[in-house]
Amino acid sequence: MRSRSGTLGLAAFFAVAVLPIGASLLYALLYSVGLAGLLAEGFNGRAWLAVLGGGEIWWSLILSVWVAAAVVAAGTALGLALALGFRTDRDNALDCGVLGYALYLPLALPGAVAAFFVFQMLTGGGFVARVLLRLGLLSDPSRFVPLVTDRWAVGIILAHTLLAAPFLALLFARLYESERVDELAALSRSLGASRRQSLWRVEVPILLHAAGTNLALLFIVILGSYEIPLLLGRQAPQMLSVLTMRKFALFDLRQKPEAFVVALIYTGLVMALIAGLFRRGRVDG
Amino acid sequence: MAKKAAVALVVSLCGLPLAVLAVLSFAGAWPFPDVVPSHWTASRWLDVLTGRGGLAASFGVSVLISASVALLSTVLGFVTSKHVAYHPRRRLLLFLAYVPFALSPVILGVCLLYVAIQAGLSGTVAGVILAQTIFAYGFAIVLFQGLWSPRMRAFEDLVRTLGGSTWQLYARVLVPLAQEMLLLCFFQTFLISWFQYGLTVLVGGGQVKTLTLKVYDYVGEANVFYAALASCLLIFPPALLLWANKRFLFKAV
Repeated sequence: MRSRSGTLGLAAFFAVAVLPIGASLLYALLYSVGLAGLLAEGFNGRAWLAVLGGGEIWWSLILSVWVAAAVVAAGTALGLALALGFRTDRDNALDCGVLGYALYLPLALPGAVAAFFVFQMLTGGGFVARVLLRLGLLSDPSRFVPLVTDRWAVGIILAHTLLAAPFLALLFARLYESERVDELAALSRSLGASRRQSLWRVEVPILLHAAGTNLALLFIVILGSYEIPLLLGRQAPQMLSVLTMRKFALFDLRQKPEAFVVALIYTGLVMALIAGLFRRGRVDG
Repeated sequence: MAKKAAVALVVSLCGLPLAVLAVLSFAGAWPFPDVVPSHWTASRWLDVLTGRGGLAASFGVSVLISASVALLSTVLGFVTSKHVAYHPRRRLLLFLAYVPFALSPVILGVCLLYVAIQAGLSGTVAGVILAQTIFAYGFAIVLFQGLWSPRMRAFEDLVRTLGGSTWQLYARVLVPLAQEMLLLCFFQTFLISWFQYGLTVLVGGGQVKTLTLKVYDYVGEANVFYAALASCLLIFPPALLLWANKRFLFKAV
């Protein structure tokens, strides 16, 4: 028999974590099919047809997946380079000295600040353009190609990578210890593997496998990011969260059901990704 | 030598955002194409210290919201995560805990706004705290799962066998054993709340002016110097917390 405190504990869990989300998603679903909200006209699938039939959501999805994948790839490459490049046979340099403190600095940057910093650096009148002009590497300010609000979302990717790479470097460095990668690498070398083979066939695969869940969660977080693409992204296409907010905040109330459709599609996508992680046993608390 | 140069490069790159923002916050004017400001001023910082301009008030509101969210989600998460961890349907419950934590705050905010309006909490500090707590609580539940091991359960059984009450169990055994994890959870949920923008904009309805909102307000007004100042104020508490948190931030890995 379950104890009274156990029942209360689970009730609190449902009241805080499940009920508000469930009620909100139900309201969003009802709104999207015309059964709730100011303009409720009875059950219809107009908003769903408009969103799924238009190209905007698909471009938004492609952009969001591209940014998330590029950040995870760039962050992983940089994180591995930092964690493995600064490692000595005796210790992990990321744990001590000035580097041990410096890598924590970018972790203190909120997304809004990272976006503002990248904006200040990479716009046409930004710091990078000024330095290039001073060094004579740029003859005319108009020839500087701004990397914000650009087609390939380079500014968004750079801002996210600025935040993700130090985190992943520290994570890989810690996993190197906990997974005893040094012992396995030494074993591979004693069996005749070269340093290069040991790195690419032993150390990197073990670290990537051990960090798999964190990388998947990072992908999900970037997929739904808002602050950075809000400042550094283009008007079209927009990342999923920015698109949702734009449709939600428009004066045209007929766009609101479409905002809920985008929100529900995104929610379904994220829940499927998390369910996939659970099914593969990568997430177990 | 090459390694020292590489360390210097990484340290410079890590410190660059802070340096640029600090310089901008003290810049009197910085016309194009100058690489450094043409003159300097401390007047904006003095405004903050004397409480003028609303930035100090925003800082206070942000601290109040983040500390409340951190306290609520840590306490609730600590107490309830035990029941999730020991439940026969643990994996399903954990999946449900991941949903608010993994959802985009903006998407969550768009969906939660109706609940907040119905509860009369839209546009209030209390509404923002509750909305952010839902978000941070999922994280706390996931984080505390690592705590509830068979060893902890054995301690609980021992206390019960020896006649200890629930209060004694928590006060004398569980809380002291979980001290580091509790601190870690408090710091992390504080940061989750401190970095929050989308959820605050939606549920706060623009009425609850946290520092993150101020940054966007100033950027929207093209007031880069005040945006930089607000950014510096935003970075300071997380930097302090991360520095204090450093020794066990990645310990659970």
